[in-house]
Amino acid sequence: MSTEKTMTVKILRETRKVSDEVKENLKQFNKDKKSILEALGQGEKTIAQLSEATGMSREKTMFLLMSLIKFGFASAGTVDDMDEYFTYKLKTNEQN
Amino acid sequence: MQKEPINLSFDALVIGGGIAGGEAALNLANNGYKVILIEKRLSLGGKMIMLSKVFPTLDCSACITTPKVSEISRHPNITIFTESDLTSIEKTGEKNFIAKVTRRPRYVIAEDCTACQLCEQACPVIVKDQFQYNLVGRKAVYIPFSIASPKVAAIDIENCSLCGACEKVCPPGCIDFTQEPREYIIHAQTAIVATGFRLYDPTNVPRYSYGEARNVITSMQMERLLAPTRPFHTILRSSDGKVPDKIAYVLCAGSRDDSMGNPICSQICCMYSIKQAQLLMGALPMADITLYYIDIRAFGKGYDEFYEQAVGMGVRFVKGKVGRITEKENGNLTLRYEDIATGKLKESEHDLVVLSVGVKPNSEPADIFTSHKLELDSLKFVKQSDPLLSPAKTTIEGVFVAGTATGPKDIPDSILSAGAASSEAISYLNQ
Repeated sequence: MSTEKTMTVKILRETRKVSDEVKENLKQFNKDKKSILEALGQGEKTIAQLSEATGMSREKTMFLLMSLIKFGFASAGTVDDMDEYFTYKLKTNEQN
Repeated sequence: MQKEPINLSFDALVIGGGIAGGEAALNLANNGYKVILIEKRLSLGGKMIMLSKVFPTLDCSACITTPKVSEISRHPNITIFTESDLTSIEKTGEKNFIAKVTRRPRYVIAEDCTACQLCEQACPVIVKDQFQYNLVGRKAVYIPFSIASPKVAAIDIENCSLCGACEKVCPPGCIDFTQEPREYIIHAQTAIVATGFRLYDPTNVPRYSYGEARNVITSMQMERLLAPTRPFHTILRSSDGKVPDKIAYVLCAGSRDDSMGNPICSQICCMYSIKQAQLLMGALPMADITLYYIDIRAFGKGYDEFYEQAVGMGVRFVKGKVGRITEKENGNLTLRYEDIATGKLKESEHDLVVLSVGVKPNSEPADIFTSHKLELDSLKFVKQSDPLLSPAKTTIEGVFVAGTATGPKDIPDSILSAGAASSEAISYLNQ
């Protein structure tokens, strides 16, 4: 396989502008992701504990954490004695 | 850049790649006819491929749909256009239809994509995953879902940051940002409309608090929570990650009520709610599941037994119409309802409420027929010109209808109607 690939994205960049909303969402996601992963780095946490540690709402924490699990950054831990809330932890074989 | 539309000829044009359109296409193809199947989304399979299990057999929906979709995809007589818009169909004579179709670019060379998902790993952008009903995120370059057909990546260009990370990592080099929409002129002798239905939007009923209360979800969102390809690792409230243990279903949410703009029965919400209740009893054995209903309409083969099975499993059935759902500070919901058994107004608390939403027509097909009028009935479903003797015939000779385009149906009835539509189309082609 050739090591020199033609980057077609460069061609599209000449005619298409990335919206400010997309740029802002990307920036915010990177910030939120860092915040969640740092909090998890200090130990397993429930959604409520993560929400408190990051300052994000529980709903947003849930959405982002479940997405990070889907993309292989985190995983579910154990459930509490009441079978109500799981803890979450960093995934050790982090790829991304 | 494409200068002229590409002309293609087929015996039959099938509009819609759900289970009814797919079945109709397969029947025609198996009889030797050349078929083009037009689907506006990225994958075939319609709503059925997104379901957890099917009633009353509790067979895995994906396990039934996937082989069928695979058979359609591999059939030598079927050409499939996904991510395509059918903009107009003109009938220019007997057995002569001309359709204009636009294929939107995926920005991925479909033939070369191996579905390795390395592009997804590299993509830094996250947006709500519409195939998981916004419960979890997806990347800007993504495979729609794990059993999508075709299983090929696509780039959501509106949300793409144009960073080029996907293109750098793609082993076969199939990312192509230079792709543009392609125009086609399709010539066909007959057409089958299988455009399906829309789910009722419960934001139209403010007293149900959908979109306001955090733990009121739709039955389709619950389908995803129950599916093997679910967005979470188990069934959780999306507001705070709690495992729910007191779940309520509100049946006829957007059905059988003129005030909600939908006077008809969905024909499916009783049974899919009973199915979900049984699946929840399996997944959360300690959970308390209550169904609030007007009537239980268990009309099909094995349906009443399925209802009795749910009763036997401990699902609670309350005959009463829910008037209002209000959210408490802890996210739990208070349901105010009329208990028909006692004639009293009551309230009960649940930690998750599922709205069993109804079926609305997809009136899009009426607008695409230009030379002849595809008539709709009073509810905006496709009108059957002879509903008793030839239920697949429409008001245009040579155009047939399959599945829920004519009105609410369950899966077996949708498949049966697809059989009728394809048989009528074959008779028409042989005239």
